[in-house]
Amino acid sequence: MKRFAYSRPTSVSDASDDAAEDGTQIIAGGTTMVDLMKIGVLEPEALVDITGLRDLERYEVGADRMRFGALAKMSTVADDPAVIDAFPALSDSLWKAASPQLRNVATLGGNILQRTRCPYFRDTAYAQCNKRNPGSGCAALDGGETGMHAIFGGSDACVAMYPGDFAQALVAFDAEVTTRGPGGTRSIPFADLHVLPGDDPHIETVLEPGEIVTEIALPMIPAMRNSFYMKARNRESYAFAAASAAVGIEMDGDTVRDVRIALGGVAATPWRATAAEESLKGGPLTEETAREAGRIAFQDAEPLEGSAYKIELGADVVAGALMTAKSRMGGE
Amino acid sequence: MAQTINTEVTRTDARRKVTGTATYAADETPSGMLHGALVCSAIAVGQVTAIDTSAAESEPGVVAVFTHETLPDYKTVKGFYAGGPGSSSFWPMEGTDIRYAGQPVAYVVAETAAAARRGADLVNVTYQEADGSIHMDPEDSFVVGAGEDSEGMVLTKGDLQAGLDEAAQTVDMTFTTPFQHHNPMEMFSATAEWRGDRLTVWMPSQSVRTLRHGIAGAYGLPETSVRVISPFVGGAFGSKAGITPYAMLTIAAAKGVGAPVRLIVTRPQMYTVATFRPESRQQFRLGADAQGRLTAFEHVEIAQTPQFGEIVNPGTHITRAMYACPNIHTEQRLARSDTNSGGFMRAPNEMQTFFGLESAMDELAWKLGMDPVELRRVNDTMTHPTEDVPFSSRSLMESYDAVSNSFGWDQRGREIGSMTDGDWLVGYGCATATYPTNILASNARVRAQGTGNAYVELAAHDVGTGTYTIMAQIAAARLGLPVEAVDVVMGEADLPVAPISGGSTTAASAGSAVHDACVKIAQQLATQISGMSEGPLSGVDPSRITLDDGTLRGPDGQSQSVMEALQMIPEGEIEVVGTFRHPALTDQLIKATFSGGYGTAGPVTPEFAMFAFGAEMVEVRIHKYTHEIRVPRIHSAFAAGTWLNRKTAHSQLMGGMIWGISSALHEVTETDKPRSRFLNANIAEYLVPVNADIREVRVEMLEEQDDYVNPLGVKGIGEIGIVGTAAAIGNAIYHATGKRLTALPMTISDVLST
Repeated sequence: MKRFAYSRPTSVSDASDDAAEDGTQIIAGGTTMVDLMKIGVLEPEALVDITGLRDLERYEVGADRMRFGALAKMSTVADDPAVIDAFPALSDSLWKAASPQLRNVATLGGNILQRTRCPYFRDTAYAQCNKRNPGSGCAALDGGETGMHAIFGGSDACVAMYPGDFAQALVAFDAEVTTRGPGGTRSIPFADLHVLPGDDPHIETVLEPGEIVTEIALPMIPAMRNSFYMKARNRESYAFAAASAAVGIEMDGDTVRDVRIALGGVAATPWRATAAEESLKGGPLTEETAREAGRIAFQDAEPLEGSAYKIELGADVVAGALMTAKSRMGGE
Repeated sequence: MAQTINTEVTRTDARRKVTGTATYAADETPSGMLHGALVCSAIAVGQVTAIDTSAAESEPGVVAVFTHETLPDYKTVKGFYAGGPGSSSFWPMEGTDIRYAGQPVAYVVAETAAAARRGADLVNVTYQEADGSIHMDPEDSFVVGAGEDSEGMVLTKGDLQAGLDEAAQTVDMTFTTPFQHHNPMEMFSATAEWRGDRLTVWMPSQSVRTLRHGIAGAYGLPETSVRVISPFVGGAFGSKAGITPYAMLTIAAAKGVGAPVRLIVTRPQMYTVATFRPESRQQFRLGADAQGRLTAFEHVEIAQTPQFGEIVNPGTHITRAMYACPNIHTEQRLARSDTNSGGFMRAPNEMQTFFGLESAMDELAWKLGMDPVELRRVNDTMTHPTEDVPFSSRSLMESYDAVSNSFGWDQRGREIGSMTDGDWLVGYGCATATYPTNILASNARVRAQGTGNAYVELAAHDVGTGTYTIMAQIAAARLGLPVEAVDVVMGEADLPVAPISGGSTTAASAGSAVHDACVKIAQQLATQISGMSEGPLSGVDPSRITLDDGTLRGPDGQSQSVMEALQMIPEGEIEVVGTFRHPALTDQLIKATFSGGYGTAGPVTPEFAMFAFGAEMVEVRIHKYTHEIRVPRIHSAFAAGTWLNRKTAHSQLMGGMIWGISSALHEVTETDKPRSRFLNANIAEYLVPVNADIREVRVEMLEEQDDYVNPLGVKGIGEIGIVGTAAAIGNAIYHATGKRLTALPMTISDVLST
């Protein structure tokens, strides 16, 4: 690991100023940052540790909004009865991510900004990686292994997958992030936070240098209460999604009034399946319509070698998540 | 005296291990020790054209950067499969050749481990890259040696084609298994300290004597000048058996800097600097008559081997021992690719071959409309199918009957897809397991004291399985002592000769030497006390005094405890070296073991075929929406001769079964084909089961007596647990879905796309 300077400011404005310096990275729980520094993928000159900003650990489940400070821990939020009651998919998405050790230190702000698990990004022995070394090429697309790469949102420069779970619950339910940067405070729709790789896959978000995510907030909507996060993976825990779906439904009798669907394990960024949502609105939710929504969700997928299975799997997971959310509703 | 054999004994080192006071090799920090770090090749095939070490040398704390041009007095040894002690027959850093990705190309020594690793990052290597392939081409395979050779690489009995022609049903199936890596929890490490011409090496090892013999030979030193110490081992599974390049590089680097050096290999480097389970293809053609009796049996195994050596783990030698059949053909073939040398990984001949064999048998059972257990029953045999000697004992069907009962096999739905539970499809599957009883010469020193103590010393190893405990149990049982009164010293090359901890041999072979030492103590004691003027055995013919677990018994009911008798003799103690020399061990085999090698006899001797047997049954569930494959229940029954310690044996069998679930559903070393690299060289992406994957695991341990294998009647249980699991799971997936999966691991994408 390369030597680095380290600071632990106690105010958001100091942190933002420090983080705006060239070659600086922000560290919170460190579960991504330390990992990538140890394997030489990131070599910051300086780290700004924001865990001294204790105000950012707070969160609340209010009547109209849920607000999560960026430093709230994954495990704390996942286990909170108020969260589980109001928005089960959000708790599920945190519970089904990582391992207990990681969830106990990882923060929500860090979680949404986690980096891809693309093996070519994570191993500096590969000369080609446009995300790690802009302009160097893409080893995955140059004959590499692509069974766990994005089938939505990839480009000719990069097909790395966004690996997170929590973000799917956020993007499906219109979350917003609040940031504080050298230019002041702003609010960004969560759906706009991540950017597609395009020609510049090293740029992953709209955040400016020194801009720190301070809060993640969601408006309370009825579909949250009947929500579920289904995750398909090859072992029971501590595995990235082969495919996942965050869903929520609001029914008016037998008719779908509102439905939310987002897809994990398949896209370059958090991915909302709007067309699938539209297919269900105003109609019944049955095994058949749920499966049709799953098919629609994946109709524009662009599979790579080894990832065609994600289309069928993803469609089934969407259907399964919807049917599970519905069956849980029936229990109330 | 409480029973100490065939009972549950908590391991004697349990407290030390859970409190962190058990000392592992890398815990040693000799005075003045420096730290090593490897620089590993970014390309798979080609040449090093230049190495710029200047940035690394300028890094604070870096003491030296060695390359193939600057590493002094670096020695190598012959590879294991070429008859030597080495883990590979190609040695990196002898020149500019790159033969596999991740091959060491430079070695950094620094004052701290962090500085050494940073220094390694800063070494700038330039290569000339050539084409390679990490995967074998099974169409371009060959048989080691020439055709029908004495090693049985190709074997023909009867007329295979006639057997296929006359069969009522046949199967013709090909299975594949991937590269896998051992991933022991304890990292690979080596610490070397030179004092003049005397060398001490601390290193986790399955064979301290192999290490010492090889290192002393390479440096032209007498063995007495080399100490090799490996007190505890945190998992090995075959990966810590031979002399590795990283060990010899560390020894040379310590000499080069004139100070002790410790290297701890990083987890990603562990995938390339030592051995692995080679990928394989398993081709089976089976035929059976309408009653299920096999009329034809063909198995062709094609296993991966590097460009520079022949790695032969002859699985066909094991599969052809399984079932009676008049017409048998087997071939052991290899195909080359650009990797380091593979080697042994838990059940190296059996895991991948039994996935094929037992899946093919299941397919045959479905075609015949037979219960798969009954298909095994009609083909069970007490005579080795190709060697024409009886099995010394064989409890295969006893195992099936016991596990059927435990598992509830009779609850199995008769049709494919006939069992469901909510959103889950349910399937049951079974498979046979076997493991050969390998025999190695061993010595052991035992000192028994009338004060109620004994000391056992031998150059065996506890690779985490409980060897310290079972050696203490054997001596305690024979001498009439509590287990905790026996001190066991192992893991040092200076101790009496004991075999490599591999091939499930330690308990059987080294344990038999401990047993023999105790018998010899009793004989000496009988001679001494029978000549005394007093005592219960005074005047008794010593040749008629026998040892009965702690008691010396005369022919007419006279008896005295061993401890009392020891108190009567003037020395108060007796020290002897016990030996185990099974009649099947030739002088040549004994010589091989005593010179640091692997002189194994069996499993087939001129008199008997020696194997342990077992059967496994699993319940598999496959989710309707996520297509996840889960194993809520796995049951087994094994018969492997005498159980020494029912607790540690149970743990080993259970561990093997769990690793079998891993092989079936999780484990694969993925590859980057264009650049011939292993892709997921870390334990986040190289999946093994987590606790949540392992639910009900039950093991039935059957009683079995086998007086031929060794005086203890022990067959060895280190590996059999893994052998049948993958096929049992694949067979259960077939039962649940009608999909026959033929490649490991079996994953979500496989159940979707088949």
